[in-house]
Amino acid sequence: MYFELSESGNPLFSKMHPLLAGMLQASALDPWERYPDGSIRLLPPPGEEEELCRDWHDFVQPGLRRHFDSERAIVAEDISLMKQGKGKTPLWSLEIPAKHCEAWLTTLNTQRLALATEYLFTETELSEKGMPDLSSERSIALMQVNFFAFIQECLVQVLMSEIADPESDQA
Amino acid sequence: MGDPGTLESPQTTLSEMHDHPWIVVVHNDPVNLMSYVAMIFQRIFGWTRERAEKHMMEVHSKGRSVVWSGAREQAELYVQQLHGYLLLATLEQTPH
Repeated sequence: MYFELSESGNPLFSKMHPLLAGMLQASALDPWERYPDGSIRLLPPPGEEEELCRDWHDFVQPGLRRHFDSERAIVAEDISLMKQGKGKTPLWSLEIPAKHCEAWLTTLNTQRLALATEYLFTETELSEKGMPDLSSERSIALMQVNFFAFIQECLVQVLMSEIADPESDQA
Repeated sequence: MGDPGTLESPQTTLSEMHDHPWIVVVHNDPVNLMSYVAMIFQRIFGWTRERAEKHMMEVHSKGRSVVWSGAREQAELYVQQLHGYLLLATLEQTPH
């Protein structure tokens, strides 16, 4: 798979293996439905104070969830525009409009966090750099977490290049 | 409290810190990317890349970093923003 900026300056992932394309397409699915235990991580408590946690649950978390859902809808729209090549193993490509990078980062993060919590991945497992293992549902989930991390890393680099450093502004 | 220079954001005055000793803490989690966390710090707090990375490394190595202190209402808003970016953040009252 290749990553580059398209002619219009959008992040472009091309020559994507169908397996990876399938994983990416799954990122638009509802994490609350897919990973009911893991999705608890998406709305953490704000502290230990009981009243604060209650208020947070009633007034803040519904808004956060709506935000995550609307970001996921943007991702679903981009995924519907993914292009498939021709040939024996048709490879896929995905162009992400620059203004959708935020939605992608949020959505991939919700999926990674929910997956990691659902499957109780350890820090060691998450940082292992071995060959992908496709022998179990759990190891495929780990591969998915790492693949999404790669996509996120690419998008962060694109966004970071747009953030002006306050110190360099003053120079 | 640790190094006050790492706690104070441009919006926080010394008297606010004294009168409303609430802190915003970001906790480590093994999933959020280090580059992503640093980017979010820059975005929310308007920090330089260097300062954002310093706090990100503190989260990574020490398990938590105090990223802001001041009035409770503002602390809640920052925690809400950080949760919107899926970082593990809490607000705590510092001991009197």
